Amino acid sequence: MQPRLAPLRRVPLAAFALFYTIVSGGPFLWVAVMSLRTTAEIFKNPYGPPSPAHWEKFTDAWDKSNYHTYFWNSVVVVTIAVVLVTVIGAMAAHCLARYRFRGSRLVRFLILSGLVLPPQLLILALFQILLDIHLYNTLTGLIVVYVATHIAMTVYILEGFFAQIPQDLFDAAKMDGYSDLEIFWRITMPVGAPAIFTTVTLNFIILWNEFLFAVVLLTDDDKRTLPLGIMHFMGSHQLDVGMVATGLMIAIVPVLLIYGFFSETMIKGMTAGAVR
Amino acid sequence: MSGLSRRLRGILGNAAATDARAASLGLLLMFLAPALLFYAGFAVYPVLRTFYNSFHAIRPQGVVEFVGIGNFRSILFADPTFWKAVGNTALFTVIATLVDVFGGLLLALCLFARAPSAGLLRVIWFTPVLMSYVVVGVIWVWIYDYDWGLANAILHWIGLGAYEQSWLGHPSTALWSVMGAHIWKWLGFNMIVFLAALYALPGEVLGAAELDNCGWVAKLFYIIIPMLRATIVNLLVLSFIGKMMVFDLVWIMTGGGPLWSTETVSTYVYKRAFDWNTFDLGYPSAIAVLWFVIILAFIAIMTRLLRQRDRLEF
Repeated sequence: MQPRLAPLRRVPLAAFALFYTIVSGGPFLWVAVMSLRTTAEIFKNPYGPPSPAHWEKFTDAWDKSNYHTYFWNSVVVVTIAVVLVTVIGAMAAHCLARYRFRGSRLVRFLILSGLVLPPQLLILALFQILLDIHLYNTLTGLIVVYVATHIAMTVYILEGFFAQIPQDLFDAAKMDGYSDLEIFWRITMPVGAPAIFTTVTLNFIILWNEFLFAVVLLTDDDKRTLPLGIMHFMGSHQLDVGMVATGLMIAIVPVLLIYGFFSETMIKGMTAGAVR
Repeated sequence: MSGLSRRLRGILGNAAATDARAASLGLLLMFLAPALLFYAGFAVYPVLRTFYNSFHAIRPQGVVEFVGIGNFRSILFADPTFWKAVGNTALFTVIATLVDVFGGLLLALCLFARAPSAGLLRVIWFTPVLMSYVVVGVIWVWIYDYDWGLANAILHWIGLGAYEQSWLGHPSTALWSVMGAHIWKWLGFNMIVFLAALYALPGEVLGAAELDNCGWVAKLFYIIIPMLRATIVNLLVLSFIGKMMVFDLVWIMTGGGPLWSTETVSTYVYKRAFDWNTFDLGYPSAIAVLWFVIILAFIAIMTRLLRQRDRLEF
């Protein structure tokens, strides 16, 4: 049963709700408006409406700087890393959830201990290692690091879900002569789809936003991912606030679009680690 | 392969093959090897190498020199910048963690008490969590801008123009300003987790409290908070880890300045490794190791202190 409030108490509640909605959503609205105004207009009145709306600023930002490169770098890195970490993580999670074998607890402990490893503990050594194997300043290197550092969380979420799939299903499949690979591919994956979808959205958001590994492991301008690109763009267009706002919007819009469609899954994914 | 032949193979196969829980070593390796290889090569090995580095001076051109605990000794006894960073990080961690967790609880209660259009608000309030630190950082740099930022504009509007200042430019306000942005980004996360926990609470208990004419404040402190204890502890620990390692937002908004007033342990590690002309990866590695050990110790203490008291059954 949910608590109910007397009508009188609802007024301050609604007022507070409105206040926090403005606090949390307002800044985005402000950036959205600025992204359609020129810097001159913004400096004349920072909080004015976007009239006339300068939509051409979006094509300018996209074409006249390296923005499209940053964007596609992010798309490539994040897509490949998410696909890899999902498949690899699902295989390991399936194995840990389904099979009894000597050392399974050790393997589980080893992989899940990655949950508490802060990136700061890895980053200096990763810098050395990638230099050694000539993957420093390459997108491949960044992908490899992303996969390695996100396996723990992926396995953690997937294993919890896979372990709940009834064993009967697997026994029956085995009786029917499914090979172990077929069982993984044709039973665990489809039945576990909701959990897989959760890890995909979660990993996508985290990696799309990732900054620390990228800033240490990439140096060339044409290799930069979107977060680094915005930083760079901000640095080189310091006073061109209007243009930076447009650049920010280009980074915000994909996330907002996905969020608009999958808000429930994304909320579930982001909180999957904390609620047990 | 047809279903019939599959079934035949299943029947004809030996008993072990039909035990769906047994697996050959080859099969296990096939499933686990990719994850273990990635993990061992780019997570376990780097950690070990960081620990190794922390006892050495690592100079360019592969010059490695064993220094024993020399790095740790210098950090602890001869590095005022490190201690400045520790102080900033500690303040940041304590304040931001408490505000984030209990502010998140407040927001969750607000929605739980059926604020109008709670479903929509929940989605809007969560939005900052999804934005990258770069986006959040740039937006807040603008909000704090001296000439045209929102913070000063609001102060001006409500007649507190005397308090207008360069929020990120002054050592006494910079850390608090960055903290504000960080809290703003993560409040929604704590709210969502609390909301899920609140809806999982047994309705009878809250209902009984209502019948007993229990007031809101009493209900909050005597029923809701004790029942949410596990969630609160989880979130405190999670938030604590995140804040102790805070890097991105600080780096983007102030770079640790002005005058080291926002320097955190993580930004200092980064600077010692890549920005300063000390050319030694060993020293920053030692800081990272030291800090990791301290974080682990605090987590152990926190979970012990907070979890072991009388457990609530419901």
